[in-house]
Amino acid sequence: MIAVQPLLRLEGVTRTFGAFTAVNNVTEEFSSEEINCIIGPNGAGKSTLLNMICGTLPVTSGKITLGAKPIQGLTGDRIAKLGIARKFQMPSVFPSLTVIENLSVAAALRGDDALAAGILSNIRMEDEAHCLAAELSHGKKQWLEIGMALALRPKILLLDEPTAGLSADETRATAAFLKELRGDVTVVVIEHDMAFVRDLNARTIVMHLGEIIASGAFAEIESNEMVKDVYLGRR
Amino acid sequence: MNSGTKKDHLHSSRRLQVPTLIAVMLVLVLCVVPIWTDGYTLNNYRDILLLGLFALSLDIFWGRTGILSFGHATFFGLGAYGMAITTIKFGLDPAWASLAGLAVGVLLAAVVALFVGYFILYGGVRGAYFTIVTLALTMIASHIAIGWSSMTGGDSGLIGVPPLSVLGYTFYDPVSSFYLALGALTLCLFGSLWVMHGRFGLVLKAIQDDETKARTLGYKTQWLLLKTFVVSAAMAGLAGALYATGTGFVAPDMIALLLSTEVIIWVAVGGSGSLVGAVIGTAIVWQLQVKISSISFAAWPIAIGVFFILLVLVFPKGPGAFLMQKLSKLRRSGNGAAQ
Repeated sequence: MIAVQPLLRLEGVTRTFGAFTAVNNVTEEFSSEEINCIIGPNGAGKSTLLNMICGTLPVTSGKITLGAKPIQGLTGDRIAKLGIARKFQMPSVFPSLTVIENLSVAAALRGDDALAAGILSNIRMEDEAHCLAAELSHGKKQWLEIGMALALRPKILLLDEPTAGLSADETRATAAFLKELRGDVTVVVIEHDMAFVRDLNARTIVMHLGEIIASGAFAEIESNEMVKDVYLGRR
Repeated sequence: MNSGTKKDHLHSSRRLQVPTLIAVMLVLVLCVVPIWTDGYTLNNYRDILLLGLFALSLDIFWGRTGILSFGHATFFGLGAYGMAITTIKFGLDPAWASLAGLAVGVLLAAVVALFVGYFILYGGVRGAYFTIVTLALTMIASHIAIGWSSMTGGDSGLIGVPPLSVLGYTFYDPVSSFYLALGALTLCLFGSLWVMHGRFGLVLKAIQDDETKARTLGYKTQWLLLKTFVVSAAMAGLAGALYATGTGFVAPDMIALLLSTEVIIWVAVGGSGSLVGAVIGTAIVWQLQVKISSISFAAWPIAIGVFFILLVLVFPKGPGAFLMQKLSKLRRSGNGAAQ
């Protein structure tokens, strides 16, 4: 049997801010075209980990490789070109541009002029194509930002709390949409909404105080005693 | 993934826009102005066109990136002094001295912008800090222009800058120098509109909204900002060099802080970001200055101050930008209805 080469590999990744260690010696692998959820309490280091993967924050020590290529220390624009796209925790779109212009700016560097229109249809926002992004609802902004990330045709899509502020219907629709991406792109989602994580039925990684304390199928994670103690709680 | 078959929306944004239509009408009217205008007035109009070109140069940077340069008089002055020093101080052949002066003026402005811009833009200097650094740049340039009197003529400046001469034709009389200014402005204005209504302009607007986000999409934002800054400075240098050939002299006023302030007001009045608005704003403020100064010379600084305060209170982004915003909204709702 041939071992599957991980697409993204973190080896002993650490990030400190002065005396505070936000991410401590994290080693993890993300294989091709699957969905991964990272959960954990606030301050666990989840967003910091994503920031290091996409080059927004430099690593203090450790190694991050995409395929066989080390990417730690590269600038954000270089990492984006290598195929890592990111959706920020707060919706981060270009407010003075229309929806289609936002997608076009994102797709422009891929040189595929029809891509923006295609993604507009995928995120079901054709009716809002010529609306300014500033005028969109919170949920639509979240979807637009996911669309912009997809317009990069990424190998890895990093989503930081994609359902924050969404209604229950919008959350279900987002889960359905992400499940459609399975097989096309490796998705890493940070999320606090456990119903959403359960719906995704994805591999789940639990972080606490900057370290990974458990990983596996969500059903296993739910019954993990340590995870119950530090995050999920007991009924 | 569905790649779709709809038209390219980036290129469609380059279709005829309101500012382009206004620019076309403006240039057409200006083309026939010399028919009924005397030489003195025509020279005034030439100066307004060149100062409008200067305002346009600021607008392509400030209006499109949101970063305010308080040092654009530096580049205008470098163009003017580059032209004056090259043509007066080096005893060059008059047949091509003015053309060499033009090249030196534009290059000088571009090189200084490249050097300063590289360090401040790649150093992450943005917002008010960028404005302060560029303000300091103008103060340094102004001190050099006054202090290095053996080269610049000091407080008196330099007199005797020859008119531009190209392939034996000299732009000497008011009509030809007016058309020279109009030609330079038209070329730069339509070039800027073409670029800014295309992909590059859209990316600059995106950077203005959120530079970090643009970087995570793969854009080398510092490089794009630096390119825009250098082109903007070169355009200001061109305006300065042509202004010097028109007036025949250079003086420290052309590289002073006051001019840096005035050009910001011209752009603000026209509405930053519209490009053609910068030219119209220059003409409006210039005409106001002439009218008010003719009544009372001392009243002008007070009038411009009050005018600017009222403008900021009523139209924070300028009346031009307000109008453009309304027109764009109408157009978008039209687009929406057409879907």
